[in-house]
Amino acid sequence: MKKTFLYDEHIALGAKMVEFGGWQMPVQYKSILDEHKNVRQNVGIFDVSHMGQVFVSGDGALDFLQKILPQDVSKFSLNHAHYCQLPYLNGTLVDDLIIYKLENEYLIIVNASRREADLDWFRQNSKGFSVKIEDKSDEFSMIALQGPKAHCVIEKAGIEENNQPKFFMINKTKLFGFEVYLCRTGYTGEDGFEIICKNSDVVEIWRKLLESGKEFSITPVGLGARDTLRLEAALCLYGSDINEHTTPIEAGLGWSVPKDKKEDYNGKEVILGQKNGEVPLTKKLFAFEMTDKAIARHGADVYIEGKKCGCVTSGSISPTLDKNIGLCLISFEGDCKNLATSLNTKEKSIGTAIQIMVRNKLYNAKIVKKPFVEKKYVK
Amino acid sequence: MSIQQPEGILCSKSHEWVLDEGDTYKIGLTDYAVEQLGDIVFVELPEVESEFAKGEVFATIESVKAASEIYMPIGGKIVEVNEELINSPELINENVWEKGWLVKVQSDTFAQDSLGLLEYEDYKEEVA
Repeated sequence: MKKTFLYDEHIALGAKMVEFGGWQMPVQYKSILDEHKNVRQNVGIFDVSHMGQVFVSGDGALDFLQKILPQDVSKFSLNHAHYCQLPYLNGTLVDDLIIYKLENEYLIIVNASRREADLDWFRQNSKGFSVKIEDKSDEFSMIALQGPKAHCVIEKAGIEENNQPKFFMINKTKLFGFEVYLCRTGYTGEDGFEIICKNSDVVEIWRKLLESGKEFSITPVGLGARDTLRLEAALCLYGSDINEHTTPIEAGLGWSVPKDKKEDYNGKEVILGQKNGEVPLTKKLFAFEMTDKAIARHGADVYIEGKKCGCVTSGSISPTLDKNIGLCLISFEGDCKNLATSLNTKEKSIGTAIQIMVRNKLYNAKIVKKPFVEKKYVK
Repeated sequence: MSIQQPEGILCSKSHEWVLDEGDTYKIGLTDYAVEQLGDIVFVELPEVESEFAKGEVFATIESVKAASEIYMPIGGKIVEVNEELINSPELINENVWEKGWLVKVQSDTFAQDSLGLLEYEDYKEEVA
């Protein structure tokens, strides 16, 4: 199993380590609940070095990306981040990605568990394009700094507010004298940053950020709280909520798919067809809140009007709301065909009663709007 | 969790403890188990009067990450459950030996069921 360059730091901080996507990662340091709350109230620091960095450049880079993404890459502006999906030919997902447009290249952040699959797909699709695809995941580490006081820590670290990247933007800059990519992105629903740096610099940057963050009550945060934070923000996790069987529209990611992209792209017929309503959805991801006292977990069966119609893809308590929440994938096929009409708009679906099987008993829940906790991005 | 474990508890390898209180036996989770679980956010306890054999699942404890089944370290009939845990499951994290107990049982089979249980020190050695 792989270790990040911060492994020894985690052990020294008392982290409990778990396997995630082939990596040994901290799941918690002291308490998932405390770490979660501190990100909502102050600021937390995360090791996200398991995420991969792939650089795409060359004369054919734009055309190549246009072919593999539903998003219109010709409209990406310099130093902006874009949430994208990577579909197979049938519209289901190889992965979901953040892509930064840099001066002469694109920087793609891939999920740890999908790195090989993504690279295979990139290479298969790159034939005929003058494009260079470089997987630099083994050269870079990545730290996330998330929470309402994240910008104070960066300021304390020597980068004034005015020089900090704006929401969903990236700066190539120096932090504590080290070359970094400083990005105003994250996976918690809070304002914050992701810092991509060389492996050799990451320990010092981590330590110095912890030091700079002291007066802002910074704490290290593990994957446990990262998961509850992203779930409250209703951000999908590849491998749980989305996978090679879900399309972006089924996953509720239609907001990120343009209607007017002229270029052909992998899966366009299905993805655009579903977005326009010409291709019927066979399933859809919904957010739910438990009304009975039980925690629904990944894999639990979902019932609507007595019929088994889907399963929970993510489920947990919400430390912020003190409720039990989750995401579930509801089928619109077979016995559940009628749901295609009764749940086909947001207005109709919200409030719908569902039941979830927990330890062989059905518990009541209802469909609610996304996100569970409002995002507090500073735009 | 600085509070000392009660004198005379016996522990199972599945991380439950039993304390002989005279008329009844008090059952809880060990400090080691609680530390492994992390923040406990939900507890499902059995009905009073229900009966379980040694090794049967009688409760479920959920941390933020996962649900764990809890096994009877001895057979017996539930005579009391710790109702406080329903609304304050964190008591298990805060005070596992006193406020964090789970159930009290009456047991006719304690003598034989307790044979496989370990004294706390031996248990600690076993799981360490």
